[in-house]
Amino acid sequence: MRSLILTVNDALFVYYFFSNLMYLFLLIFAVRASVLHQRQLASIRLERFRNSPFSPPVSIIAPAHNEGQSIAQSIRSFLTLDYPAIEVIVVNDGSQDDTLEVLTREFQLLRTDLAYVQEVSCHPVHGVYMSQTEPRLLVVDKQAGGSKADATNAGLNVASSPYVCVLDADSLLEKDALLRVMVPILADPARVVAAGGIVRAVNGSVVEDGQLRRVRLPRRFVEVVQVVEYLRAFLVGREGWSYFNMLMIISGAFGVFRRDLVRQVGGYRPAAIGEDFDLMVRMHRRLREQNVDYRACFVPDPVCWTEVPPDWKSVGKQRSRWQKGMIDTLWPNRDMLFRPRYGRIGFIALPNLWIYEALAPVVELVGLASILLAAFLGILSTHFLLLFLIFGYAFSTMLSIGGVLLEEITFRRYNDWREVAKLLLCCFAEHFPYHQAHLWWRLRGMWQYMRGDVAWGKMTRVGFAGSPAKQRAR
Amino acid sequence: MNPLTRMVEELGPASYVLQAAVASLVGAALLLAFIMGRRAARRRYFGHRDERTRALRRQLPEILEGRILPDAWRRDPLDDRILEEILLDRLEIAENDEAEKIRFCLRISGLLDKRIHQARRRRGWRRLHTLVILGRMRCPEAIPALAEGLDDSNIQTVIAAARGLGRYAMPEAAESILERLEMNRLRLPANVLQSTLYHCCRDRPSMLLRALQFTDDQLRPVLARVLAEVASAELGEDLVLIASDPLPEVRASAARAMAGARPRLALAALQQLAADSEWFVRLRAVVALGMLQDPRSIPVLLETLCDPNRFVRLRAAGALSRLEGHEEEILERAVRTRDRYALQALVGEMQRSGAMLAILDGLGDPERRQNSRRILLAAVRAGAPRLLLDAVLHHANWRVRTQAARLLADSQSPEVLRLLRFYSTDTLRPRDRLLFAWLDRRLRESAAASSGGAVSVVEAPPRPAAAPRERDPGAALARENR
Repeated sequence: MRSLILTVNDALFVYYFFSNLMYLFLLIFAVRASVLHQRQLASIRLERFRNSPFSPPVSIIAPAHNEGQSIAQSIRSFLTLDYPAIEVIVVNDGSQDDTLEVLTREFQLLRTDLAYVQEVSCHPVHGVYMSQTEPRLLVVDKQAGGSKADATNAGLNVASSPYVCVLDADSLLEKDALLRVMVPILADPARVVAAGGIVRAVNGSVVEDGQLRRVRLPRRFVEVVQVVEYLRAFLVGREGWSYFNMLMIISGAFGVFRRDLVRQVGGYRPAAIGEDFDLMVRMHRRLREQNVDYRACFVPDPVCWTEVPPDWKSVGKQRSRWQKGMIDTLWPNRDMLFRPRYGRIGFIALPNLWIYEALAPVVELVGLASILLAAFLGILSTHFLLLFLIFGYAFSTMLSIGGVLLEEITFRRYNDWREVAKLLLCCFAEHFPYHQAHLWWRLRGMWQYMRGDVAWGKMTRVGFAGSPAKQRAR
Repeated sequence: MNPLTRMVEELGPASYVLQAAVASLVGAALLLAFIMGRRAARRRYFGHRDERTRALRRQLPEILEGRILPDAWRRDPLDDRILEEILLDRLEIAENDEAEKIRFCLRISGLLDKRIHQARRRRGWRRLHTLVILGRMRCPEAIPALAEGLDDSNIQTVIAAARGLGRYAMPEAAESILERLEMNRLRLPANVLQSTLYHCCRDRPSMLLRALQFTDDQLRPVLARVLAEVASAELGEDLVLIASDPLPEVRASAARAMAGARPRLALAALQQLAADSEWFVRLRAVVALGMLQDPRSIPVLLETLCDPNRFVRLRAAGALSRLEGHEEEILERAVRTRDRYALQALVGEMQRSGAMLAILDGLGDPERRQNSRRILLAAVRAGAPRLLLDAVLHHANWRVRTQAARLLADSQSPEVLRLLRFYSTDTLRPRDRLLFAWLDRRLRESAAASSGGAVSVVEAPPRPAAAPRERDPGAALARENR
């Protein structure tokens, strides 16, 4: 028993060591990638793309489910995006509120008999509407499919542009975000098949008329922690993985994809819990199988502002769902692991996701159990444990500060030094009790997935205007 | 031995963890210190910079006039940088006279020569940065230095050089690029190449025609795409020649170019391209025909309205709906195609463009009513009843709305009955609801009559004005409205 505990402890130590090493590498290369990106940006004048007749058209797909309160404002903000050729496709996914009525009223919709060809599967479409006042707007009214993936597929079926940009209807996109996210695609259209921007938390910021007026940090601890998490995940994680062309996820809240490729892989999987991750994995699979030279890029400067859950309960639900989504995608694609034809995706990216993301809560739980057991058997070195905990705390704090540092040296959205101090303070404070709660949520997500509970659950949102609203009740 | 060292050694393997923990703590502290230090340094730097910027901006008119000599500000590197930035920003929005003054200042101050020298000497991202600045200066003497940047081994530098040349928007800048393309010495991302040539060849598009003959099949579609955007009457009938190019992308671009240049033989060439085997060539041809707005293109547009590709169909519908003065003829001929999809596409586009209003207005005009009724009735029976239902609900003229309701009733179309259910919502206004109820009753009566072998009312005579109120609410409401 003793030797077993000691072996487990050694294995966990090695696991933790390599995990930290990997994150350190990611941080270093993310800094490098950010600096290179900044230099590249200095040589680009975005207004040239804005006025260029060669910028390829983009179809913006915004699935909406019970978004009557904010839909008109969101659509107006999409229509004012700085991009020469856009088509906005709103998919009303069986809303029970007045989403369609609001759209009809605000944009004078007219039902058309546009030929609807179902190239990717989705629930039946009731009708396609065109606007009499805004020729770039198309509304698809469909039966509720129960998932964003299903609604997005309906949008894909009517999209006519070579690129599609998938958004959440309740997100705010900065005016030049689409133009910026298209920069790598425009620079290398033959290779770049997808690009994603950064998603930031809008909570606490000032929003007026669908436009972000002032960026501020939220007040609650649980929201600020999420700001730090998003900075770390995007500016360190995605930037680092993108540097090595192993980007495995482009956020469903803001991503641009080559339409033909999305259709080739059958669009989004309607039953997928993490539809954005699932799509990317299937795209990687397809392109690797066809031996295509391609890139999927993360672009750090185009910003999509989204509302993060404002309370512990909602964050818990969201994180449980994310964990379910991860397993739900990784499990069907387990055949890609360690197969030479999938290259770095099969040998590095996917194993990393399995070991350091999907199974991380289990490993952490086993670690805690082995510590308790070792203490019970009297073989626990308190000295070692203490040092190990200090190391873990200091290292993960350093990574979080690294995320804030990247934000500081690149985009500096949070200008006030008090806000930066608040972020830094949060880097130190997030380990307790947020980390433990996070562990619990992820374990719960795994348990729910194994039991077959794959529902989205209700998400409480305060709304940009500050009024409480229940949205996306799936 | 130091007691601290001894204590660490006594820890055994745990000493590594201790070292790692200390390193992490130091790392975190360093990052923190860096962030805070950087903030403080930036605040100081930008404070000083803002102060100098304000001072230099105040002196700008005198600097441009030459009353303050360049020696006064070129010696301080910060002033040098700030003023260069100010001058370049100003140049972006300056009118001709002021732009000349700024360029003169850049020349006599030696800033231009410094940048030309740096563009030739520097390497890596520093060269890239210099090329961007040279591009912004738009002084023709910098073109050779920028052109040399096209031969750099770093693709980002080559892109910066090409973009810099694009900013000159001069045929001389395009020459260096086209020359390298013809000799197969330059590889640039398509969009950069297109954008650069688009700006530089606008005044002399014929340069592209020549290059089209000498470049390979990979580049020709790119050049043709630029040609499509910059085509002007200068190109004349030469454009028609590339309409028969073996590459479909080139043919598609030729179609687009002809819409801009409008050579004499454009219509004939576009009609030929509208029957091309590639859908995107047909699409471009149809769009170009739409831009020409020539009624002689109606037959070919009606043919493409039935194209197997839905995008071509939609564009053809859009092109037809923009042909003013021919609305009734087009709708009538579209009905005759017996292609339901084609008709729906056309009706949708006509509704969007407002062309349908021209036909619907005919229902309110006694002189045109008979003709409009005939065409619309045929359209409804051919599968486009929604156009009249929308008119019943939304048309501004109440007389047209009642006429549309009558027409729908006369159509005896079972589809209208089915569609009425979708339109009959709680949001209908009371009089619309009355109109819909009347229409529903009429359609049910005619359905019952036809199933019982009753006489069909194809062309119902106009109702007498004195029709009983309860029998014909549509007419009654029309009277009220008057």
